[in-house]
Amino acid sequence: MRITGLAAFIGVSVVSLLLQSAPASAETDCKALVQPSPFGPDDQIGATNRVTPAVTKAAAAEIQTGVVTPMANELVDGVPLFGTRFSKTILTSFATLPGAEFGNNKLSYMEDTYLSQSHVGTHIDGIGHIGVQDCYYNQTPMGKYVTQNYLKKFGIENIKTFATRGVIIDAVRVFQAAGKLKANPACKNPCLDAGTLITEADLQAGLKMYNVTLREADAVFINTGWGDLFRQWPAQNATYNKGEPGISESAAQWLASEKVVAVGADTWAVEVVPGEREDIAFPVHKTLITDNGIHIIENARTDLIADAAAKSSRATFFLSMTVPKAVGLTGTFVNIEAIQ
Amino acid sequence: MASRPVLGRRPFLAGLLACGLSAARAETKRFRIALANLDETPGVTLEGLGFTGSEVRSSFQLAARTLSVDMSYYDNAGDPARAIANAETAIAAKVDLLIEYNADARANDEIARRLAAAAIPAIALVDPLPGAPLYGPDNRAAGRIAGRALGAFARETWPDEQVRGVLIGDLADPGPAVSDRVHGITEGVQESLPSLKLASLDTGGQSMRADALLTRFLQTQRGERLLIATLDDLAAVYAKNAIEMNRRQTDCVIVSQGLDPNIHGGVSEKKEIDPNNRSSVVLGSVAYYVDRYGYDVLPLALRLLSGETLPPRTVTRHKLVTATNVFREYPPYDMN
Repeated sequence: MRITGLAAFIGVSVVSLLLQSAPASAETDCKALVQPSPFGPDDQIGATNRVTPAVTKAAAAEIQTGVVTPMANELVDGVPLFGTRFSKTILTSFATLPGAEFGNNKLSYMEDTYLSQSHVGTHIDGIGHIGVQDCYYNQTPMGKYVTQNYLKKFGIENIKTFATRGVIIDAVRVFQAAGKLKANPACKNPCLDAGTLITEADLQAGLKMYNVTLREADAVFINTGWGDLFRQWPAQNATYNKGEPGISESAAQWLASEKVVAVGADTWAVEVVPGEREDIAFPVHKTLITDNGIHIIENARTDLIADAAAKSSRATFFLSMTVPKAVGLTGTFVNIEAIQ
Repeated sequence: MASRPVLGRRPFLAGLLACGLSAARAETKRFRIALANLDETPGVTLEGLGFTGSEVRSSFQLAARTLSVDMSYYDNAGDPARAIANAETAIAAKVDLLIEYNADARANDEIARRLAAAAIPAIALVDPLPGAPLYGPDNRAAGRIAGRALGAFARETWPDEQVRGVLIGDLADPGPAVSDRVHGITEGVQESLPSLKLASLDTGGQSMRADALLTRFLQTQRGERLLIATLDDLAAVYAKNAIEMNRRQTDCVIVSQGLDPNIHGGVSEKKEIDPNNRSSVVLGSVAYYVDRYGYDVLPLALRLLSGETLPPRTVTRHKLVTATNVFREYPPYDMN
């Protein structure tokens, strides 16, 4: 009887343990792979939580002259895109044929259809963009939140706002000053070559160049000069896409520790390609987006604001960038302006 | 007695601390390392595989980015006299270490003599340099991986059926690498199929000939399943073409050697071994990672320069790479 009872107890205990551990094991996997969000277990917003009214008010003080500097490239057929990516528009005109106009006032009109992937041109990566296996931001097993058409969690409609301070770090001038600029001959203007690592020390040197100290909720942009190749489309598309200068994984970790809300660059991935380790894929994306909910902004136009900073000795600005409330998207093309 | 382990731990901890300090010192010192590369002539491939000298150099350039080294590069251009002249230039430049990639044994003897006279340490890449630790592939082991994969495929897919083996490649190459690979393939496949016979189709170093050679062979071999081992990836691509043109996809499987860029690509750049091409007759290719030599060899060089004695031979990792793991081994970056 005792043996039977013990066996029954062990059996019940094992079953009960299994029942408890089944859902827990999936969570444990994501906890091992992804850092928890500092904004709570249910957070879907990510780093833009940091853009508080006080942050926006302080950022508004950056507007001193009212000069607006463009920070986005034109999105047009022919700019660098990867193999299967596309961005096409179709113009549809209505009532433009003689006699087909509407009303006695002969109204006609035109509309467009976008046939485009979202991660094209100057664009933002949402926090649903990058994960490790099934694990995404905030240790979330993503499978149950994915439909054929969109994400049911972490879509870009959750972004709070980017009404914050922008900071330009001019890596080209940092490398020139350090005498270590190795340019690519295809660049018409000075640029860092593909594969050039931008370290935490380089970023700090760039901040020091203009006496900037990062603040919580800043959006950091890095000028590598590589965007020169983007603007030469289509001639240099292959060179542009083949690799790029960019930040190291430890530099990304440092930026995350500074509690920034976004990191952008004039490159297609912000991080160095080829990467530091040959067998690791896009570690900076994982560090910023998956672990910290920090957005990445790619193919930004940084040369103009970098030149403006060199002339005015001001590397900070009010960031003007809005993101459509497109439900469930992992990213979208954006327009960006620096207002000083 | 009880206190012994504690006492024993102190010198151990002190040793660890000393190692840590010396490692820190080694990190701060920048070493000057030279690579004398085998051959960077455009179009020339290395080791009977599809890799080029520029890919080897690039691997050193990329690996050096995160290390305290200043690199200089020489191209031996496959010329023994030039290899000796390059070594002499490196010696005159007083480099801290030379990585010598040169296939000519006599020239390597001379290079070793001159380096020893100048007290400059060296690492030999692929081909031995007297007195220097060697880094390179284990051709026999790589061949065995391919053979085992073919044998396992036959056992699982075609049990109790008549199976024949075919070797395709530059079989007359006099170097030891090819014969080692062939031995390894034979050993590996015969572990599963001890009586398997292997036919030889010699491309004479022209990989595209694999297409015509295999086409002729297929026309004489009907009713048999074929386990095909190619000695390079370009030969595998041409052999696959022959199989498809002769509609023998259900009878044939290929495992190759190298995993060079002829056979794997990225998300946009589709190649034969691709996660979305799992029904290919090319089951996989054994990776040699020639385009990653720098990532393995430079840390060895730093260990040698810090006073560590290296084992006489360090071998490249080899692995069968298929559609199911190709993006893990070579993460694509043609997307963003």
